[in-house]
Amino acid sequence: MPEGKEIRELILRIAGIIIEELKLEEITPEKFDPDMDLVDELGVDSMDLATVALVLQDEYGVFIDEDDYPKLKSIRLIAEYLQSRLSGAKG
Amino acid sequence: MTNAAAERSAVTGIDPAAGNAAGTPADASPKRWKFSDLLADPVVRARWEKVRGYFFLRESTYDMSNRCNLRCDGCYYYEGAKQFTLENCDPEDWRKLMQEEKARGITYVVLAGAEPSLVPEILKVCFAEMPLGCIATNGVRRIDSAVGYRIHISVWGNDRTSAQIRKARNLLKRQIDNYRGDPRAVFVYTFTRENIEEISEAMEVLAAADCRTTFNVFSSPVGYDGSLRHDETSLARTREAMCEMMDRYPRNVLFSPYNAVAHTHARGLHDLYGCSYPRRNESDAIGLGRSFRQFRTDLTWDREVACCVPDTDCDDCRHYAAGSAVVTARLYRHVTDPSTFRAWLDYVDTYLAVWVVGYEKGENLCAELVPPPGSEAIRKV
Repeated sequence: MPEGKEIRELILRIAGIIIEELKLEEITPEKFDPDMDLVDELGVDSMDLATVALVLQDEYGVFIDEDDYPKLKSIRLIAEYLQSRLSGAKG
Repeated sequence: MTNAAAERSAVTGIDPAAGNAAGTPADASPKRWKFSDLLADPVVRARWEKVRGYFFLRESTYDMSNRCNLRCDGCYYYEGAKQFTLENCDPEDWRKLMQEEKARGITYVVLAGAEPSLVPEILKVCFAEMPLGCIATNGVRRIDSAVGYRIHISVWGNDRTSAQIRKARNLLKRQIDNYRGDPRAVFVYTFTRENIEEISEAMEVLAAADCRTTFNVFSSPVGYDGSLRHDETSLARTREAMCEMMDRYPRNVLFSPYNAVAHTHARGLHDLYGCSYPRRNESDAIGLGRSFRQFRTDLTWDREVACCVPDTDCDDCRHYAAGSAVVTARLYRHVTDPSTFRAWLDYVDTYLAVWVVGYEKGENLCAELVPPPGSEAIRKV
């Protein structure tokens, strides 16, 4: 099933936040593999993830439970998590 | 009493029902602060950027030797199974271990038990492979300047107490003689139930020699119920003493009011923050639960007992090393209001100054005794 426009935009925005917060170089949101394992492949640690989660909370106005951090292992998983939270908030 | 002390004293008297650290009345909904709001203050933003530059630190700890040139009451090393492991004294095995550690993402090593200064060649090998770290030593024997790690020298009271508890005469003088003016050195005064008032005497000597000092709180080994174990009254008095020393020796004391709160609270660190070391954290998804190992002298490790000071009674753990990781890791719990976030920044700034050579501590941003998130205000002594 093709990806919806909404989730594609979310993925690009999350990638942009990660690049900015983790000060990653030589990568753009468009080139960031949304399925890359942020912990195993990128070396993201708990403090990095907490920082990204706090910025996402600000931007999207949703609460990200600290117990859910370990689930947020890729940009796609973060996007899906946010999307479910946002749709839950709307409903 | 100084202004800062008066301010802290006022805050310690707050009843939980009266409000929180942000000054919100108890019957009103607290303002929900955004992270970006908290960072809007340029001073706070600068401190955040300063500390986050060190988020890459990932620690593991290593027992270096099963020997010690002192035998102290309440010593953590000579508890549990680890004391009986054989020593691996082969520098090449240690080099290989450090290379493997680096390969799995470890960036910071804590070289401890029983007494690392007794294996100087291995210290040099570790430093050659892993440039960031710390050595916990009793300071009796000086460690070669070529080993550029932070060096923590343990102080357990005045000379009379050292002679009694550690069976060592003139210990503080010998420690200062070895490390006076050494940029690597941080003296770590451990408050027990019995030596609280001795801090004035010890701190006077340390400050006169311009030694930097931080504070630890005695945390009982498993099964220990001796006279060093704290109770609620001694913890409260320890907190007061810490604050007095911060006021009296701001140039020499590496500490913050929030450090004092976190480490002297009636509830221990695990209860307050949830310990993230593998011993109390089953998850290996991310953070310390994933990366931390505690190696014994034979270079083996066991996830079941892996924490920064193994064989500590977790319910009584207020250890400075534990807090440095556990409180720091709870960033998100402290993003609640300006005071709590500033207090957390002070804590992390202190931890980095204590553990990282070359990191200079800034002025504390929060003079209040802010309660840990989710817990009651600190009771008045």
